[in-house]
Amino acid sequence: MFKSLNLGVAAIALAMSGAVSAGPLGIGSTATAEMIAGWDIDIRPDGTGLPEGQGSVADGEGLYEAKCASCHGLFGEGAGRWPVLAGGEGTLDTLHPEKTVGSYWPYASTLWDYIHRAMPYPAPQSLTDDEVYAISAYVLYLNDIVDEDFVATKESFAQVKMPNEPNFYIDNRPDVQNTRCMEDCADPSEFTIVATVNGVTPTGHFKEDSGVAANHYGGDEPKAAAVEVALSDAATAGQAVYDKACQACHNMGIAGAPKVGDAGAWVDRIATGMESLHSNAINGYQGPNGVMPAKGGNMSLSDDEVKNAVAYMVESSR
Amino acid sequence: MTKLYEPSLPKLMEAIATEASGMRGMDRRNFLKGGIAAVAGLSSVQMIPKANASANLPPNLPEWQSYLGRGVVAKPYGDPSEFEDLQRRTVPWLTADAASSISMTPLQDLEGIITPSGVVFERYHGGIPNVNPDQHRLIIHGLVERPLVLTMEDLKRFPTVSEIRFIECPANGGMEWRGAQMEALQFTHGMLSCCEWTGVRLSTLLEEVGVKPEGKWILAEGADAAGMSRSIPLEKALDDTIIAWGQNGEALRPEQGYPLRMLNPGWEGNTSVKWLRRLEIGDQPWHHREETSKYTDLMPDGRARRFTYEQECNSVVTSPCPENPLQKRGFVEIRGYAWSGRGKIKAVDLSFDGGVNWQRAELDDLVLSKALTQFRFKTQWNGEPWLLQSRAIDETGYVQPTLKQLRDERGGWSIYHKNSIHTWNVTESGDVFNVQIS
Repeated sequence: MFKSLNLGVAAIALAMSGAVSAGPLGIGSTATAEMIAGWDIDIRPDGTGLPEGQGSVADGEGLYEAKCASCHGLFGEGAGRWPVLAGGEGTLDTLHPEKTVGSYWPYASTLWDYIHRAMPYPAPQSLTDDEVYAISAYVLYLNDIVDEDFVATKESFAQVKMPNEPNFYIDNRPDVQNTRCMEDCADPSEFTIVATVNGVTPTGHFKEDSGVAANHYGGDEPKAAAVEVALSDAATAGQAVYDKACQACHNMGIAGAPKVGDAGAWVDRIATGMESLHSNAINGYQGPNGVMPAKGGNMSLSDDEVKNAVAYMVESSR
Repeated sequence: MTKLYEPSLPKLMEAIATEASGMRGMDRRNFLKGGIAAVAGLSSVQMIPKANASANLPPNLPEWQSYLGRGVVAKPYGDPSEFEDLQRRTVPWLTADAASSISMTPLQDLEGIITPSGVVFERYHGGIPNVNPDQHRLIIHGLVERPLVLTMEDLKRFPTVSEIRFIECPANGGMEWRGAQMEALQFTHGMLSCCEWTGVRLSTLLEEVGVKPEGKWILAEGADAAGMSRSIPLEKALDDTIIAWGQNGEALRPEQGYPLRMLNPGWEGNTSVKWLRRLEIGDQPWHHREETSKYTDLMPDGRARRFTYEQECNSVVTSPCPENPLQKRGFVEIRGYAWSGRGKIKAVDLSFDGGVNWQRAELDDLVLSKALTQFRFKTQWNGEPWLLQSRAIDETGYVQPTLKQLRDERGGWSIYHKNSIHTWNVTESGDVFNVQIS
């Protein structure tokens, strides 16, 4: 593909000149500068697209802890299967490579672009430009790429160089090519047959009457369906809020979040009273057992929506 | 009158009475005559004990033949039979959250090369947005003469194309790089689907906006919560990229980007940006998250390949497989799929001894570029164990590699683009296991 890119450009020039003679079909409307400005959010490695604004490492620390740490860990170490953001230097050519912002990402601009377009996970495009600068600066600081007094701006951010950038190269496949041998192509005495790791495959879909016992495979049996709980109106309304804003952590138990349906994890919390649960959910909470960002990091939720979601979680976890 | 097909006498009588009460004269008399005839048939059926499964077998009259079936438009949009169980499935421990996860197509249950829209594999980075097509817009801007905003109506006025193309996640088989892990075809190969896609060529839209000479790359961006974005070389856009709104004869499913998606035939699925809202033409790539942090291939020397777009030639046997064990000795037809992101499948070979000896399989007539191609092989099985493999060759002459060849070159940590020959161990009992030969 890329080996012939120059040729491709020549073909493009031809195609375009052909298009000019054919003339456009006149379909669609002009995209105005104002329309484009609202949607044109992309940032490039050369800094193209970065807005005015600034944020320091110090500004980023509090924002990161409130909006990012519940999934990514206080030091970028990652919770559960959420992405690890920091560490991993020197591991990429080992048997346990850890690909983080510092060890792997080739461009700092990607950090700004991605945080701005997609984070925090439950509330994308909710951060101000200054907040994105600050959180980006703090993640770079967690990776020892900038000093603690770094202030990210349009100018300073575009100057940041990432250590792993030189280690990326353009696709050079096909790198492996078999031959179409038909007879005596391998020596079976040299075969080592490696079987499947047992017990990691969901096998609930194996046909019961196939003559093969599903448990032959040692996989997870489908669990019995949870007992249906009759929900209050508030809890019923809260289920949609939960699905949108809370389940990312409360489904799997990320960042110490009590899992919905895990009565043992909830009983002491419920005993503190609904008022205390509401307050922690709305204002955020940080304690020995975990971190709860204010409104789960989604500040567009009203207090009542959060309370409904709490009702849903509590009633589903008794 | 929707209950006529249901074999319950009281409900049927009730339904007939309700329907008849709204009718007059001759209509009512004719209707009741038909309805009562149906009831008469039904009561004789109910004499047969339901527990007896052979009641429907020859020489008996099957229950469903003894009363009227459902009429037209009882279901204006039909469902599969209640006896079918075609389902996408996921591996729960793979990802942190269902809104940023993947599900797999049940290849083991499919017939032919078209994947039904309801079981096309899913991959989201921020869940499925619920897009109102009337309020959806595609903006094309950047290094162009005429920046445009297009409605769905606008888009459908352009010259259109319909093409059958596969779409495959580059992480298909990625769980198997370091060892056999998944004891089911759905999980080893199911990040793969093949549909008919309808839309407008991106080249047509680019002619409309007029790309400036310095324009060489296109940023495609989705309207989902992840704002999915990928850099696409202009060369591909001018070759065969489709901006699609149709899938298998109807509008795209929400899971596949309703109302509008990009489709880059033969390229890793992630580049085919769904819920497409914006195309920006630029002079260089953007290096966004899904083309740097993810969807780059880590090599054993610690360096990494980027812009690894093409899905190389691949194949797999779908029957037998762990979900479809051999149950009877004697004649058996081996079936499977082959596909290549570089064009048409030229041939598929099968081995029963782990790759020592190979025999050519038959291809179905319909061999399309960058589409699933069905292969078949007729043989006998009499309880002997097999190490069953398929090996595909595409029209460029590329021969699907062995796992050892791939690992020798790429190590075990690249996650993406594992297209090696797959091995099923068919045991003496007919059970089928996923194994690797090293």
